Amino acid sequence: MRSRRWSIHFWQAVIVIVVLLIWEYGTQVPWITRHIKILDPFFISTPSRIVQRFIELSNPALPVTLPERVLSTLAHTIVGFFVGVSTGFLAGLYLGRDRYLAAVFEPFIIAFNTLPRIALVPLVTLLFGFGSLAKIMMAWLICFFIVFFNTFEGVKNVDRDIVNSARMLGATRGQIMRTVYLPAALGWTFASLTPAISFALIGVVIGEFLGGDQGIGYLIILSLATLESADMMVALIVLAAVGIALALIVRRAERYLLRWQPRYYAPTDGAD
Amino acid sequence: MTSLPHPRELSQPADVRIRIDSLHRRFQLKDREVVALGDVTFDVADHEFVSLIGPSGCGKSTVLNIAAGLMTPTSGSVHIDGELVTRPLAKVGYIFQKDTTFPWKTVEDNIGIGLAYRGVPAEERRRRVAEMVRMAKLEGFEKAYPAMLSGGMRQRVALMRSFIVEPEVLMMDEPFGALDTHTRLNLHDELLRLWERTRQVILFVTHDLSEAITLSDRIVLLSHRPSRVKAIVDIPLKRPRDVITLRETPEYLEIYRDLWHLLGEEFQLESEG
Repeated sequence: MRSRRWSIHFWQAVIVIVVLLIWEYGTQVPWITRHIKILDPFFISTPSRIVQRFIELSNPALPVTLPERVLSTLAHTIVGFFVGVSTGFLAGLYLGRDRYLAAVFEPFIIAFNTLPRIALVPLVTLLFGFGSLAKIMMAWLICFFIVFFNTFEGVKNVDRDIVNSARMLGATRGQIMRTVYLPAALGWTFASLTPAISFALIGVVIGEFLGGDQGIGYLIILSLATLESADMMVALIVLAAVGIALALIVRRAERYLLRWQPRYYAPTDGAD
Repeated sequence: MTSLPHPRELSQPADVRIRIDSLHRRFQLKDREVVALGDVTFDVADHEFVSLIGPSGCGKSTVLNIAAGLMTPTSGSVHIDGELVTRPLAKVGYIFQKDTTFPWKTVEDNIGIGLAYRGVPAEERRRRVAEMVRMAKLEGFEKAYPAMLSGGMRQRVALMRSFIVEPEVLMMDEPFGALDTHTRLNLHDELLRLWERTRQVILFVTHDLSEAITLSDRIVLLSHRPSRVKAIVDIPLKRPRDVITLRETPEYLEIYRDLWHLLGEEFQLESEG
């Protein structure tokens, strides 16, 4: 198994090297750049130029350095994510338990949910300006609904017999909430966290497209205005790295918190 | 339809703990109404193990759910120790056919959950859980989650989870119905051993005649829907019982034959109706 894994890594490395070589040297052959537009360095720059701009953009002498941009995007995403997840979770938990409230709110929630959230970016910018608040609000809006819907479904799907067995064991309403609804819904909630963090990042970046002068999104828009494709590539690569890192962290947390679910451990054959 | 004797004439135990009086229950389905319980009346005495059997769909579980306070009757009533049951009572335990162990809790936390609900201190809880784990032969699985266990082990956890809070009355709804024969016999043996120590009142629903005879002091036979009490049969087999050898005794076989005959009439009615 081990050698197989290494051979997979080997071929992945080969692909990366081949792509980088074509990118670096293919883009310097006039015939290629004339006929294949996507390989024109005007659009995609070159790896060496990207590395060079990466270093230049990180220069501490700049008014806003690249690490500061990353931090800004990251901070807005994470704050929005936490606020969105906690509010979405609580709303889902309580609305899922109260069938009456759920019935009252259902049409509004569905109407709001069908609206593409990205379409709300201009409205959020209008309301909250070009600063941090607007970006956080965007991430919050997105995370809230993703987490809310999943948690809501999770609570509605809690096994009635498990609830009844808790009642028969003498649980109070609060104890049933804590020991049955909450952990049962958590499985559903956590399933929504990986998409939530990814979409939160999208929301923040789009917010940055529209306004302000911080963040990775602003760097992308700026590079479009200045026709500096190397800067755009730097921004995209950093953004991909940030996205992957966030998703991995969330998945780790999910794995730990849902360790009771069969898919997270190798099942042992229980014998009677 | 054979005419039935008045329920109160069938059996009159001395010290009544559970009094089930003229239970009637209708269910509204989409296009029609189903009368699950016609008129179900019987009593359960102190220290008694009573099984409720009958053809499938006759409303055995409905009787149990009403008695446990999980469902309301259309009319009629259940009293436990003189108290009208309208919601789950603290002294009543309930074991479901379906696996209702909490999948997010370990075996020991599952077994101790009822004590935790009652605010029993952690130290005492640990001690009592350890004792239950030993009795259920679940040593080594304390930290395992239910999904890692077999069906039989999970039902053992459910059994211990109910017994640990020492309910005065225990209701069991086909608790071993989903298990294979071998596992089921093992659990019969364990249940009887647990019960011999405390002798709480048990009301046990099953469709398995041999299970009912093996475990019970009395068997209440329900008729086909809308169900009434068709017969109440004493099981005078002496205790403690050996769940395996018991089945070979002539007394057991005779009881089995009689009950099979009574049950057979209901099956016939079912296929005709």
